Amino acid sequence: MEELDLLKKSWQKSEQSFEQVSENQIYTMIHKNSSSVVKWIMIIGIIEFVLVTALGIFIPDDNYDRTLEKNHVGTLVTVITIISYFVSIAFIYLFYKNFRTISTTDSVRKLMRNILKTRKTVQFYVWYNLGMFVIMFIIIMFSFCYYDENFSKMFDKVQLKENASLIWAGIIGLFFIMFSVMFGLFWLFYKLVYGFLLRKLNKNYQELKKIDL
Amino acid sequence: MSQDLEQSFVKQLKENQNIIHKICRLYTSGQDAHNDLFQEITIQLWKAFPKFRGDSKFTTWAYRVALNTAITLYRKSTRSISTTEFDNSKHFIKQEDYNYEEEEQIKLMYKAVYQLNDIEKALVFMYLEDKDYEEISETLGISEVNARVKMNRIKGKLKKILNP
Repeated sequence: MEELDLLKKSWQKSEQSFEQVSENQIYTMIHKNSSSVVKWIMIIGIIEFVLVTALGIFIPDDNYDRTLEKNHVGTLVTVITIISYFVSIAFIYLFYKNFRTISTTDSVRKLMRNILKTRKTVQFYVWYNLGMFVIMFIIIMFSFCYYDENFSKMFDKVQLKENASLIWAGIIGLFFIMFSVMFGLFWLFYKLVYGFLLRKLNKNYQELKKIDL
Repeated sequence: MSQDLEQSFVKQLKENQNIIHKICRLYTSGQDAHNDLFQEITIQLWKAFPKFRGDSKFTTWAYRVALNTAITLYRKSTRSISTTEFDNSKHFIKQEDYNYEEEEQIKLMYKAVYQLNDIEKALVFMYLEDKDYEEISETLGISEVNARVKMNRIKGKLKKILNP
């Protein structure tokens, strides 16, 4: 292509036209903070990690433990909690390993793949925690329905009412809405935060993949 | 030790800074955006410098890190490039060989290149830098054959933009 070769000629002559940066300016630059995507993914990942872990540590209190014991699920919940601590430690290790592998000297495509992989680990961790939360929630709900006195009394009362099935539907509906709202919020968070950060990366990665098909 | 490292980095970067300037020219418009990307590339180069062992040339290594930054790591959107802002092409050609017609053509060509996406720009950049397809394929992480095919398609695309 003729025009492109013309551009090439002019391009190679253009070296003198740039305002040159001095050594001092370079010194200043390398002590400034980067604003790279990886840094932001890392920061958000750490915030997520801390938030989700804090949620698990601070929510239970003694009262909660006693209630669990009374309803025969104390041991089960303790076992699950201990397991989840081990899983969390494994995830921390994975995060660390992933961020170490991100190296800018890899090819463009490999770098993108590494970033997306790292991102997936964080995402997987959060979904795992959500899943755990749901499982715990279901276990505790069932144990309450079966063993808790207050619940039994309430159920008996409901059973006596004329429109019992309507009230049941209402209760189930309420739980369903609670879950939907929670998941909706998580989904929105991902769309906003990571969508914003990764839109360009994803687009370019797809483009590279398309070339190599 | 780290002082030595810093000194050697700054010296080499200063000598080779035009590589970064040229990437900034393709991926940004306006002096502010240019400086911003220049700084980010410099930071990424410095961060990666301890791993640079000198078994490849400083420039080859710098191409890779710089393109990585422009395409992958740089957060600010480069989409808002307006062709009207780009008018520094007149600096490219020295006064003595000024040729109005050629200059106009080069300007149009730059405008066309601006309409390409980030990956296509990277290919064009390597082409303009006179890199062979082996280096292009290694830098981008695609096969040599596909790099060649893609480059031909880009030429076609540029032709279409120039003569719609």
